[in-house]
Amino acid sequence: MELPASSGPNAERGSARWLAAVLACVVATLVAAGAFVVWVDPFQQYHLASRFAPRFYFLHHRYINPGLARNQSYDTVVSGSSIMENTRNDVVAKACGGSAVNLSMPAMSASEQRLMLETAFAFRRLKRVIAVLDFNEFAGGIDERQDVAGPLPRYLYDRDPFDDLPYLLSWDVLLKSWRIVRGDTSERFTSDPNAAWYWGNVVRFGRAQVLRGLDLEHLNARYKQPQRTLEGMRASFDHNLLPIMKAHPETEFDVVWPPYSILVWLDFAQRDQLDVTFAFKRYVAEAAAALPNVHITDLQGERTITHDLDRYDDIYHFDPAVNEWIVDAACQRRDRVDADNVVAFERELRDQIAAVRTPAGLRTVIDGRSSP
Amino acid sequence: MLFNSYEYLIYFLPLSLAAFFLLGRVRASFAVGALVAASLFFYGWWNPRYLPLILGSIGFNFAVGALLRRAQASGGHEAWRGALLAFGVGANLALLALFKYADFAVANARAITGLPLALPHIVLPLGISFFTFTQIAYLVDVHRGRAKEPSLLNYALFVSFFPHLLAGPIIHHSEMMPQFASRSNKRPQPSQLAAGLFLLAIGMVKKVCIADPLAPVVAAGFDHPQSLSALAAWLAVLAYTLEIYFDFSGYTDMALGAARMFNIRLPVNFDSPYRSTGIREFWRRWHMTLSRFLREYLYIPLGGNRGGRMRTARNVLVTFLLGGLWHGAAWTFVVWGALHGIALVVERAWERTGMRLPRALAWGVTFLFVMIAWVFFRASSLAAAGAMLAAMLGRNGGGEPWRDALAHLLAPDAQTSLAVSVAALAVGLAVLALQRNSNALVESFRPTWPRGAAVAVGLVWSVLQLGKVTPFLYFNF
Repeated sequence: MELPASSGPNAERGSARWLAAVLACVVATLVAAGAFVVWVDPFQQYHLASRFAPRFYFLHHRYINPGLARNQSYDTVVSGSSIMENTRNDVVAKACGGSAVNLSMPAMSASEQRLMLETAFAFRRLKRVIAVLDFNEFAGGIDERQDVAGPLPRYLYDRDPFDDLPYLLSWDVLLKSWRIVRGDTSERFTSDPNAAWYWGNVVRFGRAQVLRGLDLEHLNARYKQPQRTLEGMRASFDHNLLPIMKAHPETEFDVVWPPYSILVWLDFAQRDQLDVTFAFKRYVAEAAAALPNVHITDLQGERTITHDLDRYDDIYHFDPAVNEWIVDAACQRRDRVDADNVVAFERELRDQIAAVRTPAGLRTVIDGRSSP
Repeated sequence: MLFNSYEYLIYFLPLSLAAFFLLGRVRASFAVGALVAASLFFYGWWNPRYLPLILGSIGFNFAVGALLRRAQASGGHEAWRGALLAFGVGANLALLALFKYADFAVANARAITGLPLALPHIVLPLGISFFTFTQIAYLVDVHRGRAKEPSLLNYALFVSFFPHLLAGPIIHHSEMMPQFASRSNKRPQPSQLAAGLFLLAIGMVKKVCIADPLAPVVAAGFDHPQSLSALAAWLAVLAYTLEIYFDFSGYTDMALGAARMFNIRLPVNFDSPYRSTGIREFWRRWHMTLSRFLREYLYIPLGGNRGGRMRTARNVLVTFLLGGLWHGAAWTFVVWGALHGIALVVERAWERTGMRLPRALAWGVTFLFVMIAWVFFRASSLAAAGAMLAAMLGRNGGGEPWRDALAHLLAPDAQTSLAVSVAALAVGLAVLALQRNSNALVESFRPTWPRGAAVAVGLVWSVLQLGKVTPFLYFNF
């Protein structure tokens, strides 16, 4: 069976002309759209912003960070979750030497941290990685991601230009490009390449802010963090981070356990997550012991920070001065943990947690009487 | 690979067409081979691990078909041919049962017996329902002497031809093979390429510009039926009624359009179903190739309407229960199928009374029934369906002012624009009211410049809508 031709050679010629014209219009329009996006490059995938002021769009880390990893000049990477977003590149450079880029992202999972670091290693020879680990990033399976993180644009994390079409031919990106050219500032963004993801100047820190709406009996009612298992955390660490550390012996990895407020530990205690968490820390210390390029800095027992709720925005997020202190501690290798002293660090922190689990101890923290 | 993806539209489809027509100039079998290879690549793009499954299925059914033909040619005993057919159909159904219904069966067995049975958690391979039904129909047709296919390559193309592979239409061997065999179909025909592009553009616009923007509205409603006012609940169900039609029929238009570019005409699958004035008519217009399959290979073998009213009613109910279950392994689909089966039985009984509803009223009743039945199709569980129906009946009370309730439903998150949701609803309803659907439009297609401009705009706009930028959603850090 053959499809009926429309009506002879003339009609076929007419169809051919129509087809050619339509396809030419479609292709030309799409090529023009793609070229415009490349020229403006709102997510800095092909070049750093130079024609126009850079725009680090609010909460677009997963789209822009791979561009920074690809195009920025650096030999040191800061990799962490939202708690590390207030780390300025120049602060890192001053504390650690060299040049740095902060590739942190909110609600980062271990698999995303791996992908981000792999992207950085693919484009730069790194002297140092400051990897600030969140326990929650190891929750769930080895490739687990948080729903709130939104989709991950994996096509931006590789060298294959042929899979960049969702960036090049996207109305959303086209619109952002057009707004940049027009100077339209209706979207929320920052423009400082030195502090791309900095939010420390737009939120309030303080005890009142931390305690607002908090149920002290059930701290996780507000944060809804998932339960973790030691098996799952180990599997995720082994799959996502350990191989990178092993694959790059020329790079110094400064692994940091960040100084959450003591209320985070109280939450862990309330959810029966303390033993899992400490066992995981011991496991990481043992794994790092075999790798001379990996150093662990444990700041979680630093009570001058963790008991002073005025330094926090919520129970997890501290003020930017703490970010500077973290970077300095990591690069100076203060509070260094290894397989030998990890239990001592643990004992000290367990004592602090035990104190806060008493009504009087908790009241001391809540009232701010334990502040330095 | 999805039709509404960059890799399909920008790379796969143009390269496949080029390979097919270039190799068709050399030798027809080369073109067929190229199209089979392209189709398998298309299938394997999702997960190459399932390629052996479809290849095994194709090889098995081709072999059973060959045995059936041989038995027929040698005057083999009917019982032997029947057993062979039963074996072939049974094996296909077993494959489908394993991949699609294992979890469902185990979960129900666990609920009934209380035994701690572990769910096998078998991932459903894409398109397995479609390629299994296509091949069951082939075996039955061979058994009936209506089909024979001596070439494995041609048979592989019949099953795997990528435009119909993942979501239908469900095709008949007899309607496809003459087209695949035609030599002239291996040459590019500008009129067919143009008509195919026209249909592809219509499908893209339906899917990307109407169905997709409605998805978050539907999700917002169906995910939280307990908090919906009656108005919001009805709107969510109406949005789903539009979404499922424009999604599925749009995808089908893209399939028919792509096939048309290869000079292949796939059977029409949708014919303005929401204009139906009865449930029987609805099923003649909705997923028409599934209706055809169920009629020819289930309803009629069960006895059809021969054997009296009760037996006919039983056959209708069985057909629709199984048809419902074919759509998904959940009781919600079974209830959906049962509702349609019961409605058909009631409709037949009503027709026998000789009374006729005014056309507008018949349309209204039909549309309302179809909408309400969709609640079971979309809901995550029977309880969720019940909650949605309760919300539609106003069980949740007034709640927030109706304007706020609708605004929350139509713009449930920062990524969903109220204007886009309203526009998608309005355009969707307007398209339903149009007199001519995509089948009619493509049949009367002429390559005029206004149409060319519309196709170009539609394609460009749809392609640009594929790449959404979705930032981090949690604003409270």
